[in-house]
Amino acid sequence: MQVNTDTLIACQLCDTLVNIPQISSGEKAICPCCQSVLYVPKKHSLERTQAISLAGLLLLLPATQLPLMGIYAAGKYHQTSLLECITLLTNNGFYLIAFCVLIFTIVVPAVRLFTAFYLTYCLQRNINKPFLMVFFRSYHLLDNWAMIHVFFLGVIVSLYKLVDIADVAIGAGIASLVMLLMCSTMLSVCIDYRYLWTELERSHE
Amino acid sequence: MNKTALSLGFGSCPRCQKVNKMHNERQQCSRCHYWFHARKPNSIQKTMAWTITALVLFVPANLYPMMVLNTLGKTESSTILQGISAFVQVGHYPIAIIIFIASFIIPLGKIIGLFILIYNVKHKTNINLKRQSHLFHIVEKIGPWSMLDVFVVVVMASVVNLGFLSNIEVAIGASYFALMVIATLMAANSFDPRLLWDNKPLTKEQVYEQ
Ligand SMILES: [Zn+2]
Ligand SMILES: [Zn+2]
Repeated sequence: MQVNTDTLIACQLCDTLVNIPQISSGEKAICPCCQSVLYVPKKHSLERTQAISLAGLLLLLPATQLPLMGIYAAGKYHQTSLLECITLLTNNGFYLIAFCVLIFTIVVPAVRLFTAFYLTYCLQRNINKPFLMVFFRSYHLLDNWAMIHVFFLGVIVSLYKLVDIADVAIGAGIASLVMLLMCSTMLSVCIDYRYLWTELERSHE
Repeated sequence: MNKTALSLGFGSCPRCQKVNKMHNERQQCSRCHYWFHARKPNSIQKTMAWTITALVLFVPANLYPMMVLNTLGKTESSTILQGISAFVQVGHYPIAIIIFIASFIIPLGKIIGLFILIYNVKHKTNINLKRQSHLFHIVEKIGPWSMLDVFVVVVMASVVNLGFLSNIEVAIGASYFALMVIATLMAANSFDPRLLWDNKPLTKEQVYEQ
């Protein structure tokens, strides 16, 4: 017996198999067994995903290069950026932490933004490349490893700590970091995973 | 009645979530060509191994100093707990609470949560399955926040770098802490929440159907 699996969806938490309900945007498909969210259709997903991911990609450079903050102490001024944090760590031999910071705050967000942008770009122009699938496969995997939000909170906490010790100046890097953080969050909100995969599958046929 | 994909001979691809007919135990997804199993293989053993690793690493992460402060030739190192108590002493209670939650409550809560989930799968507990799924969802999402103190130390060390006058260095405890966080992330990644529901007893209707 041949079953059309395109109309089926399985709950990721409890594996209950259901027919995809016909829902319009603004509604959610809920698992009948465990009540978790199965699928949320998004409005204008393709255009929004593309715009947000492009903005995020452009922000990557200022967010990593511009100084986050600086301190004045005894006539000296010293400031730092995200990239300088990482180079300092490698210079001092803390390769593991340097690697973690690099991966979690720069590489993972960059790969997610790039994947989202390149995928939507190719879908709009009907370009299909087999490696697009491999790219997009990694997107979901990286969901739990992006930590810009945590790093940002870390910057805020260290500002608090430093205010007691010295005169602190906030750099333009913080503003870029906030905007990058907003782009990365909005990307997770706007991307319609199911829609993109269906489109990707169709373009390969 | 609700039936699982597994019981009907289907499996959903962990990458693109397409439902595939499982011809073999290991199946290639017809959409994204990813090779997968209907359930993550050896999920419980892997989760157990990573969780124990995280628990073991939690000890040096807290015993060794996270950072070393040098001012005018004087050296002072502080562990996570000492860092938190320093905040309490100067009256920065909100920050102290945030760091305490991120560095203690979240990693320990995650480790305990994972042990509870492993126990429930092994002993086929069927009570409160919805709540257990919910617990897994939380465990999966809160993980990254425990990196907070490592990031704080990194930023501090990078800014306070004024040579002999005053400088902060990252210390070995931060490395253990980062490893611990990675272990908890890997543990949550290895766990398959669908295993919780696989032992659910059949409902009356399902027994009649069979
Ligand atoms: Zn469910
Ligand atoms: Zn797939």
